[in-house]
Amino acid sequence: MFFNSIAFAIFLPIVFFLYWFVFNKSKSTQNALLIVASYYFYSCWDWRFLFLLVFSTFLDYYTGIQIEKSNSERSRKFWFWLSILVNLGFLGVFKYYNFFAGSFSDLLNSVGLKASPILLNVILPVGISFYTFHGLSYVIDIYYKRIKAEYNFVDYSLFVSYFPLLVAGPIERATHLLPQVKVKREFDFEKAKQGVFQIIWGLVKKVVIADTCAIYANAIFDNYSSMNSFSLILGAIYFAFQIYGDFSGYSDIALGVSKLFGLDLLRNFNYPYFSRDIAEFWRRWHISLSSWFRDYLYIPLGGSKGGIWMKIRNTFIIFVVSGFWHGANWTYIVWGFINAMYFLPLLLSNSNRNNIEDIQLRFNFDSVKVIISIFSTFLITCVAWVFFRAKTITDAVSYLKRIVINGDFNFQYLDNERYNYELLLMIGVFVLVEWNNRTKIEPLSGSKSMFKVALALLAIIAFGTFSDYKEFIYFQF
Amino acid sequence: MKHFLIYIAKILVLIILIAVVLDGLYTVIFMQSENRGKIETVFNSEAQKYDVIILGSSRANNHFVSQMFEDKGLKTFNYGMSGGHLFEASLLLKLMMERKYDIKNVILETDLNLSNQHEAEGIAAKFLPYIHNSTTIKDHFSSQENFNELYYIPFYRYIKYESKIGIRETFFTAVHKKTNALNNLGYYPLVKNKNGNMKNNIANLNPLPHNKYYEEIKNLCKINNINFIPVMTPMCENVTGMNYFDKVKKAYPEIYNYENVVIENKYFSSCGHMTDAGAKIFTAKILKDFFNK
Repeated sequence: MFFNSIAFAIFLPIVFFLYWFVFNKSKSTQNALLIVASYYFYSCWDWRFLFLLVFSTFLDYYTGIQIEKSNSERSRKFWFWLSILVNLGFLGVFKYYNFFAGSFSDLLNSVGLKASPILLNVILPVGISFYTFHGLSYVIDIYYKRIKAEYNFVDYSLFVSYFPLLVAGPIERATHLLPQVKVKREFDFEKAKQGVFQIIWGLVKKVVIADTCAIYANAIFDNYSSMNSFSLILGAIYFAFQIYGDFSGYSDIALGVSKLFGLDLLRNFNYPYFSRDIAEFWRRWHISLSSWFRDYLYIPLGGSKGGIWMKIRNTFIIFVVSGFWHGANWTYIVWGFINAMYFLPLLLSNSNRNNIEDIQLRFNFDSVKVIISIFSTFLITCVAWVFFRAKTITDAVSYLKRIVINGDFNFQYLDNERYNYELLLMIGVFVLVEWNNRTKIEPLSGSKSMFKVALALLAIIAFGTFSDYKEFIYFQF
Repeated sequence: MKHFLIYIAKILVLIILIAVVLDGLYTVIFMQSENRGKIETVFNSEAQKYDVIILGSSRANNHFVSQMFEDKGLKTFNYGMSGGHLFEASLLLKLMMERKYDIKNVILETDLNLSNQHEAEGIAAKFLPYIHNSTTIKDHFSSQENFNELYYIPFYRYIKYESKIGIRETFFTAVHKKTNALNNLGYYPLVKNKNGNMKNNIANLNPLPHNKYYEEIKNLCKINNINFIPVMTPMCENVTGMNYFDKVKKAYPEIYNYENVVIENKYFSSCGHMTDAGAKIFTAKILKDFFNK
């Protein structure tokens, strides 16, 4: 059940009605309803993996309590590592086993040793990377005594399985979401309205921007060997907007839907393509994952303490692990590595926190510098996206090489019977709208909101891509 | 909560309003279409006079060289549509009859397309802008599963088939951007394709015994005194399940089997589609056999 499906358009009002009109007596009834709705939502993909979700929930719930109750450090450590290993074990088996087995076999074959690994014929349970990280952060926080264990199983289950964030995040923290589910929610008109704005804007990003860009990006990436330099550059730009529209659109819808139930989720995107350097980009892109890695990997590894080499090592570790989190493929690892390389000069010059303040443009030289830095950050991001999108590293390298050596910048007619440049105007308008509203969560709120909503709805209905139905990219992670 | 429900109601009204306005606007634009494709052109045309019209799928579109008919003094147009099924061929002929076309001969490419009675969504979609302006189209679609949604929900058809009749096609129609669909009197010549699939497996195909749309075309021709010439057209050498054509012949003895008139791979762009050279050999044979030219 995708957020942009008819099924969800039926599911959401039913749950909303039951939540505010039937199960609104107490927070327990509200939570119970949301749990049932979440499990139903999840089972629409594959009900068999519901057992995995429930098991993972129970494991972290139980180990969290045991860690808190343990009198000895040894016992605390035992429950802590049990949870970590089982959680990572699930991820390892379902997401990474075939990759490691295949890569190991390739390595043996390359030195002349014949190996035929046993591969698992399993599909990746949707959302496993997200709910596993929810559970992990919870257990780690209890272990380090940052939070208390949750004794109410329903409340804890809702924290892990809450349907708006279940399959593609944002990756929530117990410190943020759990306190909200512990109290009865009262209906707040302004919050709900804000939620509607976010849902509509999320749909614009998904069906107008992402899915339309996908048609062109796919046609270019799938036939890159016959594309000219101009098409290849456009292909990378289209993919950059596809993945941004797709994932941030999903996040917007998730946050908006959650607001309808009175619950705030963590913001996941903050106009990342307006970043002035790569460090700022990573503070604005998939914020819940970046901050997760910062808090639960970078800092425990020593963070920026311990000298420059330690900083560099830790930075490379979190970027490569972050890449690997996205999928079991060398292309994601290289994508993470490239981002670490981008980060390196900022780290060495101690300028990775230079661009913290909001962007202000005026008619002066500094503003020109800002614009150039935004463009150059976007450009290098697009280069990295080529590795993210390509099927293999060889494809990505050939793609980039062809941009340089082909040298043909004419318009090109693509295999899908469309010209390569057709989307530029639409992307330009989208960027302008986002730029003018970069200080807000979404562009629809504020004055003349009904008019802006009407324009957004018009865009969805008239310009959306519906026939070539696509799921959200991040579901596969 | 009351305020919120009113707010949502306003948004729903807004959605319906936008859908109704867009539906009307798109439809008006498609009603002006005359140089985009064969369906739009027929729908927006007036009575025409033809000695021969050709109907069928891409195996008609790429195989019958209209100009060769014209050269023999036969006014001809190839209305074969790549990807089309008999569902669309039948409806197109109905529209021609509705517009009082005077047609002497209909050549129908009918072989592989006898195996199903489904619509070809990508082609059938091109009729949908006119569904409220033509009872012929409405009636033809009325047996389709999603007819109610297509007919009664404003703008639904434009959303569902947006790649065919969405904003892009509407824009090009509005600015009268020409396509090549009507070039060469409807015939689309193919060249030798070195990457073309020269193997085909049709072993699992079976012709339906009484294909509804084939029968419709046959009856339309009979009622309107049109000479009906159903033919099977050539396939390349490496086809598994060639007895399909025998099965067609058995089920429909009146269909002329021209499957083996051209067989050499050099005359094929892909297994089911001849090159221009192959099409010319084939068309010459048809002209000789049916028109004595």
